[in-house]
Amino acid sequence: MNAILHAQQLSKHYPGSTALDAVDFTAGAGEAIAIVGPSGSGKSTLLHCLAGILRPDAGSVTFAGSAGSVRLEKLGDGELSKLRREHFGFVFQQGMLLPELTAVENVALALMLNGTARRAAETGAAEWLQALGLGGMEQRRLGELSGGQVQRVAIARAQVTGARVLFADEPTGALDSTTSAEVLDVLLGSAAANGRTVLIVTHDPQVAARCGRVVELRDGRIIADSALESAAKAGGPNA
Amino acid sequence: MRSLALALRLAPFLGRGNAADLRTAGLPVLAFGMVTALLLTVAGGSQVFWSWTDDIAVTYQALAVIAMVLLVIPLLTLGASAARLAARRRDDRLASLCLLGASGSTVVWLTVLESTALAAAGAVAGSLLYAAAAPFLGLIEFRGQAIGSHAWLSLPMVVACLAAVCILAAVSAALGLRKVVVSPLGVRTRQKAEGAHWMRGLVAAAVVGVGVALMGMLSAFGTFVVIIAVMAGCFGLALLALNLMGPWIVRLRARGQLKRATRPEQLLAARTVLESPKETWRQVGGVAMTSFVGVFVGMGLAIAEVMDASAADAETLLLVRDINTGVTITLLGSFLMVACSVGVNQASSVLDRAPMLVALDRLGVPRKLMAAARVKAVMSPLFLVAGISTASAALLVLPLTGMALLMRPLVLLALAGVFAAGFLLVRLAVAAGTSQIGQVLARPERYASVDS
Repeated sequence: MNAILHAQQLSKHYPGSTALDAVDFTAGAGEAIAIVGPSGSGKSTLLHCLAGILRPDAGSVTFAGSAGSVRLEKLGDGELSKLRREHFGFVFQQGMLLPELTAVENVALALMLNGTARRAAETGAAEWLQALGLGGMEQRRLGELSGGQVQRVAIARAQVTGARVLFADEPTGALDSTTSAEVLDVLLGSAAANGRTVLIVTHDPQVAARCGRVVELRDGRIIADSALESAAKAGGPNA
Repeated sequence: MRSLALALRLAPFLGRGNAADLRTAGLPVLAFGMVTALLLTVAGGSQVFWSWTDDIAVTYQALAVIAMVLLVIPLLTLGASAARLAARRRDDRLASLCLLGASGSTVVWLTVLESTALAAAGAVAGSLLYAAAAPFLGLIEFRGQAIGSHAWLSLPMVVACLAAVCILAAVSAALGLRKVVVSPLGVRTRQKAEGAHWMRGLVAAAVVGVGVALMGMLSAFGTFVVIIAVMAGCFGLALLALNLMGPWIVRLRARGQLKRATRPEQLLAARTVLESPKETWRQVGGVAMTSFVGVFVGMGLAIAEVMDASAADAETLLLVRDINTGVTITLLGSFLMVACSVGVNQASSVLDRAPMLVALDRLGVPRKLMAAARVKAVMSPLFLVAGISTASAALLVLPLTGMALLMRPLVLLALAGVFAAGFLLVRLAVAAGTSQIGQVLARPERYASVDS
């Protein structure tokens, strides 16, 4: 497995609680990983530390980018911001798209932030929207789209820049089960087709079941990792 | 009435808040406080004119009426803005109530009650501020004598002003609720972007046109009192027309900018304005009002200069000095309102968008870009609205003064000064707003979950 993200001994404390307690974690290129666990187990904190949104109190995160490996804890705020903009994509529970922009503008903005001219950015964005089943809805504002459609726009935005890793925090948490399954199809299908790594924080066992690997956290520690279990099984009783 | 009774019973429970609620409630209270303090100061400062009974008193009273019209309409606008702000603050609680089965009318009553309570708190604070300022207000001289005890309004007058502020808050809150959909899942603004129809421009232009025509035939109105009433009416209507036309102008300009936008901050700024032209107008409308007042300031100074040069009698010279004092106070009051209005609106808009700002930061949007978009959205329409406002005021006074007086260097200098000070004030308020972005992003956990 080619590791694209590697975390070592990650710890993060909040007043009165430990969100992450010396966590080791590796994500391989092209993997779809569900991070599960009860509320307060540290799922989102782990995701945010891996994405460079939060700085851990201890430990390190290494991203193996196309231009070489980068240690996230050594980057300044501006560099982290650039890294997230250029190499990572995000899908949040509420989409967190800009309500004043149209669907195509929301997606194009991600490209424009990286220096693409507006016309080219909107063309690229429209292609992504088309590919994700939103053809003809490019000029709609978010208020005119359903919850599932808004999440598709967010998925398009996350991938339009060619991000190598997609971070999704409860991406289907606000959707009904049918729409949730459709959105997950779009997210996992498009990511797999483009060879991207996907990390999904979720409470939903059905979402987790769709991912190739499931990592379970409790009290800031990884208590189960299906990849390790498979490796152990493959290695036999003496592995 | 059952809804009102229920709202009254629920209000004390919903009135309890945490520190964050208190912080957000502080903004409308501050705004209402400023509105009340300025309203009382204007009323207190001008009541001395009504105590005089000699021949020249009418001239002073006429000028006072014009100054009050120039100040009161922007004050009402600021008050309405504060009321909308108060109503928006309790969105989450309203949604929770809806979830529990509260009827639409209960939600309306609760919003109105809460806004009125905030207005009342602000009004009381504002009257204390007025009480602290009144001794200094009393030092201002008109006709060679300090205003003195005339600066103090009677208790019934103060109570009437306080009641007016509360009524304004209640009405604005009820009207403001028409623009949001309260559902059990939350409160959101109506889906379609806010319109600003071209009819606004047409109606406003017609109002200004009628005003100019009326100003051109003032002498036909006979008595001095009627002439003054018509003048004050024309100025007041023109200010209202500006308020009506402003959002339409702002929207028109933003549409052009949207087409031409090539950079992300230009796109964001244009779309922000188009999303709510009225909100943008509230941020720049103050300077439009000040520019309008600025024309009168320039005219006042020019008239004073002409009269001074003609070496008139002592009474006229006193009048000249008093005109200067009056226009300075009017301008100062106007600037105070601009500062308050822009500051409150900026702070409110950053707080309203805090979760989105946190999300944008997580996506890697540079903070400088967020700030640049905000600055552009406000500063970009500012020149245009200030220019249109100045032109409207100049058109109105032209029949009275003639072009020669209007184009005197002193008038142009005064206008340039007013423009510069207005722009500086707005820029500073926007800078304060953008610095708040940093504060929001420094404590993102307040606005978005990070600990699951």
